[in-house]
Amino acid sequence: MLSVHGASRVLSRPLHNTCLNYIRRFASTSREEFDVVIVGGGPVGLALATALGSKPELNKSLKIALVEAGDLSKVRDWSPSPAAFSNRVVSLTNASQTFLQNIDSWDHIEQERTTPIEEMQVWDGVSDARITFSTSELGLPTPAEGMARLTETLNLQRSLLHHLITTPSVEVIDQSRVQSISPDEISGAWPSVMLDTGRVLKARLLVGADGPNSPVRAFAKIPSYGWSYDTQAIVCTMEHPPKGPFLGPNTTAYQRFLPTGPIAFLPISATASSLVWSTKPSLATALKACEPPVLSRMINAAFRLPEVSIRYLNNRILEAHEAGTPITDEEIRSEILWREQSHSIDTTSAYSSATVATSASSGIPPLDAEMVPPVVTSIQSGSIASFPLRYNHTESYVGEGQGSRTVLVGDAAHTVHPLAGQGLNLGLGDVECLARCIHQTVLRGGDIGSYTALLPYTQERYVENHKIMSACDKLHKLYRVSSGPIVQLRSVGLEILNELDSIKAALMMTAGSVSRTDRPLSYSSDTRAAMFGAAAKGFEGMRMAGQVLEVVKGGLVGFVGNALRNAPTTRQR
Amino acid sequence: MLQTHLLRSLSTVNANEIAHFTRLSAEWWNERGEFSFLHKMNPVRMQFIREKLVETTYDELPEEAVNAKKVRILEGLDVLDIGCGGGLLSESLARLGAKTTGIDAAESNIAIAQHHASLDSRLPRNLTYRHTPAESLLQEPKRYDVVCSMEVLEHVDNPVMFLKTCAELLKPSGHLFLSTISRTPLSYFLTIFMAEKVLRKVADGTHTYSKFINPSELLDFFHEFRSPSTPQDAETQARPWISRLYDGQPTRKEAELRGMIYNPLSASWILAPRGAWGATECNYLFWVRKPAALGGEASEH
Ligand SMILES: Cc1cc2nc3c(=O)[nH]c(=O)nc-3n(C[C@H](O)[C@H](O)[C@H](O)COP(=O)(O)OP(=O)(O)OC[C@H]3O[C@@H](n4cnc5c(N)ncnc54)[C@H](O)[C@@H]3O)c2cc1C
Repeated sequence: MLSVHGASRVLSRPLHNTCLNYIRRFASTSREEFDVVIVGGGPVGLALATALGSKPELNKSLKIALVEAGDLSKVRDWSPSPAAFSNRVVSLTNASQTFLQNIDSWDHIEQERTTPIEEMQVWDGVSDARITFSTSELGLPTPAEGMARLTETLNLQRSLLHHLITTPSVEVIDQSRVQSISPDEISGAWPSVMLDTGRVLKARLLVGADGPNSPVRAFAKIPSYGWSYDTQAIVCTMEHPPKGPFLGPNTTAYQRFLPTGPIAFLPISATASSLVWSTKPSLATALKACEPPVLSRMINAAFRLPEVSIRYLNNRILEAHEAGTPITDEEIRSEILWREQSHSIDTTSAYSSATVATSASSGIPPLDAEMVPPVVTSIQSGSIASFPLRYNHTESYVGEGQGSRTVLVGDAAHTVHPLAGQGLNLGLGDVECLARCIHQTVLRGGDIGSYTALLPYTQERYVENHKIMSACDKLHKLYRVSSGPIVQLRSVGLEILNELDSIKAALMMTAGSVSRTDRPLSYSSDTRAAMFGAAAKGFEGMRMAGQVLEVVKGGLVGFVGNALRNAPTTRQR
Repeated sequence: MLQTHLLRSLSTVNANEIAHFTRLSAEWWNERGEFSFLHKMNPVRMQFIREKLVETTYDELPEEAVNAKKVRILEGLDVLDIGCGGGLLSESLARLGAKTTGIDAAESNIAIAQHHASLDSRLPRNLTYRHTPAESLLQEPKRYDVVCSMEVLEHVDNPVMFLKTCAELLKPSGHLFLSTISRTPLSYFLTIFMAEKVLRKVADGTHTYSKFINPSELLDFFHEFRSPSTPQDAETQARPWISRLYDGQPTRKEAELRGMIYNPLSASWILAPRGAWGATECNYLFWVRKPAALGGEASEH
């Protein structure tokens, strides 16, 4: 290495400058340079590109590329028939919707294909303790808009893409897979992204919106920890008769917590709803191998029969599958019928599904009709699929050292159990925050790839995501424990209500339609901190309540209602 | 092919030199290293500069003519950064459109700044660095719309001379931005006792307590100060830069003091609100505006 003296001696400035300028010029001719390279054209990557492109004042300052391995023209030209629905449906909270409105993307959503959730019914499959929350309870300014809106992921992606096509500062590069990423030899310089088409993109800021197996995360060597849940989520589009004139519209979401995992019914139109059924992988495989009518019957039973009977039916399905003689529709029908009779479930009750008429009934519905979802009559062909479920959270959202100038958003940074429908909402929260940090840095002349620019993003999002993720994780695990005090608590439904309340708090936080954009960082995190404070006070009440459990077992329902600050309606069947 | 060949032969000539400054520059620009506090402070300085410039344009132009969201708010302005160090502030000024000149008395700083700027091909070309003391620039005819000097005042031997130089380098109606440290027990405790002696975040001997300048001293200086009688400044001598102090405070249009407060929880600096009690006890920002040229003012009325 050169001595200091030597350094100043050879510091003949003209030559020095020429040389550096030469490198600069040479570098920029061989590679394309972008201020932001977003890897991943999933909903999160598309939303980030749109958010950055939607600010006219950023247009001249930022040159953006979005890289996607798949063919985005399929998303752009997606035009399903009005009655057919994709099996990937997400619930978008009001905060997410407001954000999409602010980036001018909500208008492109085909509204007729979305449904507001006006009520949620969640209950424990073992004790049947139930929590109901409705829009009116959450005190929303526009209750008819629902607490969230169920939307096909494709509907959202298509809308974002349509907006992006008209955004000149964003170049969409699809059918191009990222093959490798390399850091520059000079530290602090920009990473290069090599595509399988031969193009090389240099990025001031490299964003990983590339999903759970994120190649960007691997490049930046950002450690990530988590676990597989040993659970598969079966998804499909279910068809059912419209609710009769005496019942409300199909705007109630249902979720039952079974020991094998939660099963959720998410309305998408008057006669179609989406299923997310988390269960053991072996059972998922067996169910998917059955005739679709058998799956319909099993779905109906899973929302209605007592837990012992569901366990029995699951075993029947598994045994038949292993024996290579899949159960027939008639066999499962008679099994369910027999189970209903032995539990003395009246055939006129909403809890009976084996004998129910498949057309819409115009008569007076049974009294308990609102307690369970409509009876599923068929499943849209080709809509059955399943996904393994994982919990994963990276140690940081920002790369360092060789991986500097990288940042992660969405599922690349965190994957969460879908039981609270939060996965994509967390991702959109990331996008909103990151876009805000980038905007602020540009206004202050900063380098958007610098650690200093990205630090507020990690600080704001990490804790917030973690709180919601761990609440979902705990809720799932509660049902994997088969003995101990938790089971005792669970048997009276207290623990689940406690945990559900944290989900409810999360929902409330994102349900308000107040815009999060354009608010200074400190303000928005303070408000949210205050809301967490309020939610925590609710928990405090619950914890104390736990100590006096023995005393109040008798009058539990009323007591739980008081303990929760925003008293949910609790019902026992 | 020819290009690759050329590059190789050029880079061998200067390989050692480049390697040396690459390393120095990497140290200076390491956001988590010795200079981390400067990196964290920079957005706050820029926030202040931006806010103040937007505010003055609102005062001067009809409201609908001001675009507060505009990125390149310094477009077309000649801006001088005295004591530019590795170029942290200069690069930010250049990105906002300023024709920026960064100067530093240390030759190695200039090399670091030049090297770092060369890494970002999207930095505007109107960013130049020069190894020169500020006083030498007085010999040249060029004057500036904005002069910035961040964390320099507390290091100079003759602050009065230094302030006069800054003042003289400005065009009429030009903006002077300074940031420095107060001479208070708090500032001694935080910047010398804690940062240098205890935490050793900053090299021992970086600061000399007696050189720290209090906000009131800066205000008093510009309350007295009139532009010197040079040909360029003949028109701006009518009044001192701060014409009046109310309860020791200047009017918003003439000068402003804002504290910078470090929030250890978020490890970041925040710009204290105007007039926040005690906020200027340690690190603070100062803005003062050179009086307008008489001719200009007369024609307006
Ligand atoms: C069963 C299930 C139900 C869910 N329900 C909900 C719900 O109700 N509400 C909710 O909010 N969330 C829900 N989620 C979560 C939600 O689907 C995800 O959070 C969301 O899809 C994440 O979006 P993303 O853009 O981050 O990642 P992805 O959608 O995974 O997109 C990543 C993109 O990156 C691309 N890519 C990857 N590698 C490369 C490469 N090397 N080169 C180029 N491109 C590459 C991929 O092609 C892909 O398009 C659910 C998830 C599951 C599994």
